[in-house]
Amino acid sequence: MPDGSRKEMTVSVASIEEILKELHINPVEVVVAKNGKIVPEEETASSADELKIVRVVHGG
Amino acid sequence: MLNDLEKKRYSRQICLFGEDGQRRLKKTGAFIAGAGGLGSIISIYMAAAGFGMIRIVDCDSVELSNLNRQVLHWSGDVGTSKAASAKDTLEGINPEIEVEAMEETISIENIDQLLSGCDIIMDAMDNFPTRYILNKAALKKKIPLFHGAICGYQGQATTIIPGKTACLRCTFPRAPPVTTFPALGSTCGVIGSIQVTEAVKYVLGSGGLLENRLMLWDGLSSSMDEVACARNPSCQDCREAGLEREDN
Repeated sequence: MPDGSRKEMTVSVASIEEILKELHINPVEVVVAKNGKIVPEEETASSADELKIVRVVHGG
Repeated sequence: MLNDLEKKRYSRQICLFGEDGQRRLKKTGAFIAGAGGLGSIISIYMAAAGFGMIRIVDCDSVELSNLNRQVLHWSGDVGTSKAASAKDTLEGINPEIEVEAMEETISIENIDQLLSGCDIIMDAMDNFPTRYILNKAALKKKIPLFHGAICGYQGQATTIIPGKTACLRCTFPRAPPVTTFPALGSTCGVIGSIQVTEAVKYVLGSGGLLENRLMLWDGLSSSMDEVACARNPSCQDCREAGLEREDN
């Protein structure tokens, strides 16, 4: 999760977009890595996958 | 050629990568987009390292609230243009290099002209819309873009080599919302230093770069992590630059 915590979810197959919605995370604010690789929101994931949700920072 | 003063100034680098490496840095023109927190760290280390030409661009003036992190600028610079302040500081650090400081707002209209004569782009911006302008220009000119961004204790960095790696838009398809971001100077120090190290290695052709890797720094837990990036076949910026699927 963006705050460094871990959360286990049981889903059959769902899109990243749906998973973020379930977690109440604004997809514009994050990128999601599936099993270590950044994937687009349309990508699907299941309970067997590990997702890392990274909050995008924009400051300089 | 390096003169005697340069050989002495850069002696600790010359023993690291030789006079040939130092000459490569001298021949490199670096465009630094922004003279804020990241731009301060990037420009100071690039100037000190001997990048031969540094062009730094910023449209703002120095404010008191900048001084916790923007170490290019000092208390006496408050109210002056960041570009002028940057030029003073950088020329003071290294008079052997050429410093061009421009008080400009980076736009689609002026980016080609701003990049004229530059070999690499250092991202020190504070917003994604301007970063996308840099990204498109990097893809069009086929020059590397060294991305960095920070917020509070967190930061990220990646190295974009057009035609070879994911571009900025491949990794970040949409701009995150613009907010007033908290900023700690030392976070700028971590990320800006990583960006400069990447640029040095790119110029020297040594080591491994953050190619297709997004490095994540969390200063709160003192941890570094990374995730892999990949070129997105449907990336609009790659497509516009005619670079889509070139590596597939």
